[in-house]
Amino acid sequence: MSRRHTLGNVAVALALVLLFGWLCTTVFALLGTQTDWSKAWEYRETLWRGWWMTLEISLAALVGSVFFGLLFMLGQRSPLVVVRWTCRAFLEFVRDTPLLVHLLFGYFVIFAPLMSRPLGDRGWDDKWMIGVLLLSVFEGAYLGEILRGGVESIPKTQWESARAVGFSRVQIYRYVIFPQALRRVLPAMAGLFVSLIKDSSLLNVIGVAEYFYNTKNFISRSYAGLEGYVPLALGYLILTLPVAWLSHWLEKRFRHET
Amino acid sequence: MKLEVTDLTKRYGKTIAADGLNLSLESARVLVLIGPSGGGKSTLLRLLGGLETADSGRIVMNGFPLDPQEDALQAYRRRNGFLFQQFNLFPHLTALRNIVLPLEKVHGHPPAQALAMAEQALARFSLLDHAAKLPSQLSGGQQQRVGIARAVAHQPDVLFLDEPTSALDPEMTAEVLGLIEKLAAAGQDIILSTHEMGFARAVANQVAFVSAGKIEELAVPELLFTAPKSPLCQKFFSRVMRY
Repeated sequence: MSRRHTLGNVAVALALVLLFGWLCTTVFALLGTQTDWSKAWEYRETLWRGWWMTLEISLAALVGSVFFGLLFMLGQRSPLVVVRWTCRAFLEFVRDTPLLVHLLFGYFVIFAPLMSRPLGDRGWDDKWMIGVLLLSVFEGAYLGEILRGGVESIPKTQWESARAVGFSRVQIYRYVIFPQALRRVLPAMAGLFVSLIKDSSLLNVIGVAEYFYNTKNFISRSYAGLEGYVPLALGYLILTLPVAWLSHWLEKRFRHET
Repeated sequence: MKLEVTDLTKRYGKTIAADGLNLSLESARVLVLIGPSGGGKSTLLRLLGGLETADSGRIVMNGFPLDPQEDALQAYRRRNGFLFQQFNLFPHLTALRNIVLPLEKVHGHPPAQALAMAEQALARFSLLDHAAKLPSQLSGGQQQRVGIARAVAHQPDVLFLDEPTSALDPEMTAEVLGLIEKLAAAGQDIILSTHEMGFARAVANQVAFVSAGKIEELAVPELLFTAPKSPLCQKFFSRVMRY
């Protein structure tokens, strides 16, 4: 690094620290008197339950989105033209409308009238289940496209070769195409899973008691400010950062292969 | 091997790759297909190997007619071996795994036995040192040899080779041709297409000259290479033998 660059870096870093420090002190000066961390401590159980719920939703929707993603991918590769077109149209619809609309419309118009009663009768949390289902379909639509791109990036010669060896169609996917395709799309998939975790916060609109929902309630009940929003951001970071790191690691690892 | 092909036709759009092709072979160990590029060698080989289905016509291999149903063709492919010009191996698997996997999953051998068979196949062609390498770490010639080892590991009825050396330099070509010769000498039934005329002559029991989707001439190599009857075949030789 040249002397000029070192000086430049130091100057910019200094300016950023000053700016950030000024922002923090100003905000704290304005809110400091009202900030009471004991409030957050008081509500710790609700917050913890919410955070845990978000983790559960994310894991369940992760599995669900893989299921729907595979379904959409295979549907688009179906030999039946009607299946292909239906899949294509559905994916286009899902990807071109906001998740918020899916959740509100899907829950209040479609699934709640259909499923709430029977699910509730069995003692199951219908909001949770329908929310996870809708989130899975939404993320699955994106995943389906990622997987399709991966599968289509495998050269035709591999299909030929696998057929010549005597593999069945299922075996070709399982032993030849997927292992190669997954390597190529893993970084993109990890990125999608980060989005999925963040998108789960939208489930609050149908009343699922996840992390955002519980924090929001805590804030409106206790008039909390910083002591509500800071844990909120940190809580999501704890979930997303490991996945983001994993994604970078995978990207680095597979960049040199093939 | 005994082979009977009647009125075989295959079209790709407007191109006619097999045009009412007939071929009758009482007994031959090695059948070599030669002829100009685009003349239908590959298509014929793929039809014979059960990788494509004909639009019409009939193939009878060793007394059994080929059933065009996908299940029957898959079973047929499993009994035989096939090798393409290049990119035969699965790049995410080592040379050894490339051979073990089909033995386990296609032919149903238990893992230990599959491993032993695969190692035997590699050892047979002096490839054991490369067992743990990925295809990208092997030379083109080595890749083709591993491909052949995979194609013969389950002792196929017939080995189909589609221009196995077209993508290789002369040295690697020699290395692969030597291996094919060895297989033929060991009694393996082989049908192969090639542009290597010297090799065709040395290894073939029967040579078929394929042009414009038809068998122009079928004869033993001594006859076909010295005194071809068909004018097309004569013209072909006069062109390829010039240099």
